[in-house]
Amino acid sequence: MSAVGQDTQAAGGQHPRVAARGPAAGRVVTRSRRSALWAGLAAVVAIAILGYLPYLVFSDTTGLMVQFFQLLIMASMWNLLAGYAGLVSVGHQAFIGLGAYFVVLLAMHGLSPFTAIPIATAAAGVVGLPVWWLVSRLRSGYFAITMWVIASVCMLIIIQISSLGSGTGIALSGLTQSPTLLAADTYWATLAVAVLAIAGIYALLRSRLGLALTAIRDDEAGAKSIGGRVGSVQRLVFLVTALGCGAAGALYAISQQFIVPTAAFDVSFTAEMIFITIIGGIGTIEGPIIGTIVFFILQQTLSADGTWYWIVLGLVAIAVAIWAPRGIWGLVSEKFGIRLFPVGYYVWPAGEQPRRLLARSARP
Amino acid sequence: MPDSVTAGQAGTGVTGVVAPATGVAGTGVSPALLELDAVCKSFGKVVVADNLSLAVGEAELVGIVGPNGAGKSSLFGLIAGDLAPSSGHIFFAGKGVTKADAAARCRLGIGRTFQVPKPFGAMTVFENVLVAVQQGGGLRGRASYAAAVEVLERTGLAADVNLPAERLGLLSRKRLEVARALATRPRLLLLDEVAGGLTDPEVAQLADIVRAISAEGIAIIWIEHVVHALTATVSRLLCLSGGLIIGDGEPETVLAMPAVREVFLGTEVTAELRAADPVTGPAPASAADREQA
Repeated sequence: MSAVGQDTQAAGGQHPRVAARGPAAGRVVTRSRRSALWAGLAAVVAIAILGYLPYLVFSDTTGLMVQFFQLLIMASMWNLLAGYAGLVSVGHQAFIGLGAYFVVLLAMHGLSPFTAIPIATAAAGVVGLPVWWLVSRLRSGYFAITMWVIASVCMLIIIQISSLGSGTGIALSGLTQSPTLLAADTYWATLAVAVLAIAGIYALLRSRLGLALTAIRDDEAGAKSIGGRVGSVQRLVFLVTALGCGAAGALYAISQQFIVPTAAFDVSFTAEMIFITIIGGIGTIEGPIIGTIVFFILQQTLSADGTWYWIVLGLVAIAVAIWAPRGIWGLVSEKFGIRLFPVGYYVWPAGEQPRRLLARSARP
Repeated sequence: MPDSVTAGQAGTGVTGVVAPATGVAGTGVSPALLELDAVCKSFGKVVVADNLSLAVGEAELVGIVGPNGAGKSSLFGLIAGDLAPSSGHIFFAGKGVTKADAAARCRLGIGRTFQVPKPFGAMTVFENVLVAVQQGGGLRGRASYAAAVEVLERTGLAADVNLPAERLGLLSRKRLEVARALATRPRLLLLDEVAGGLTDPEVAQLADIVRAISAEGIAIIWIEHVVHALTATVSRLLCLSGGLIIGDGEPETVLAMPAVREVFLGTEVTAELRAADPVTGPAPASAADREQA
């Protein structure tokens, strides 16, 4: 338990900006101990390479990456909700399914599916409002199960609508591009949403609100006692995750091109989000990223053999629960003292300040 | 409590923003900062507040003693908004806060510590205090950093700023509780057994911090089992038992009351009293007893 600690002491994370510094009673406060220029540059280069990928590989590879990024978006949302706001939902497939069906509906009315993504995302967020009103008074198990019930109700309503294909499913219209271009567009859209989702979560957690959210993660009663508006913070996070899962659902509809209610509202979406978050490391931004990589590798190498796939997934989950309760990222950050996304603060000893600032002031 | 307060409260309905009558019981001429009016609370058959009325003035330093289960921590729960009273009203700084939740009361100026420290374990000591400055204290940016560093220096935690709170020892955890509550810039600070489990020198250090906070004009209510720490610090002592205030006044006077001695089984308190004031102790005490009766 004494673990997570070291990183903030031994080292900081890495991000190119010293976003917040100022003299505080003679002490300089920064967002990480190490200047993080290199990690920031590496992130930009990585995104650039990922963005160029459709010119380098065939569409089956980008198709896999589309699945990967969809999982990453969903898991990051579930991690934000459960890992920070303390709201464990097993019904976020509701927003995935709704996002998917909103895209289908908008495409039926002549809108390009890609243009429909932001609208479907916003619509899923709007649905999130009354859902939050319903579930906000519930806690733990009751919250989780009610969310599942709501997801099922959404599915049952869609099944009643014959113009949306009832229970047999519906094809997405309006995708007129050539297959190659369609694959590339789908990939770019998914990559963009994934980058936006991670960057958005990072910005949220670095903000004033994010610090309050982190406090809620660590101790909800304590957070209330220091004036944290736990209820409104949880509402905001719930709506953000509704938006995120709605966007993932919209991308799911475009990548599948044919959606069936039982698949779009499948609880296994949430099961995967939970698995990824737990093995990666709950309550960290890095956790879902690592978790998605591990899960995706397992899925791609083992899913041909259905039985072994499930057995290995179960074994991995058990192993992580026993030997790495803070997930794979928890182990890594503890051992090497690194944080890819520094959301905390570092107070410099009196009279000291970051070397980069000194270097800058030394320059004419 | 004056009936007029209750009547006014009923008249305004649920919001209940009514200034309590000034000059109420116990505080003489100045208006009370905190006022409890006939507050009742019980968990099943266990009564933790039995028609409790209490007024605490600005900058007053009040100690609370009482046996286990007397309702001390529950009283803090009622004042801080973690517990809702089954009847009665609570006023703070002239406002009815009975319906306000814990976060709202903190923002109004009620800071509290918990008997069992509730640090934000994975956050650093600085972040623990910073979030309190930003949420409860309403400061932002550089002003909040400066305020957090200042609070940490005052509470003797300046050396541990970058340490995750879960790696702190007991004394530092207790200090962090005080620091975090102080960081919300309270007008009233509720300290729940901040000296519990500490060694005598550590208790003395904490008592120094408490005195310094009090000297700044912040009202403090301090629950403590370590009675000698209280008697040496507070100007007014309450004894709580079974949800009732069975003693209220000067520390020596209260500790000498038979009812108070009874609940403490004559152990630590009597010894404390004798040690503190061997000559004049018994005689004025018995006079006070008669008054009380």
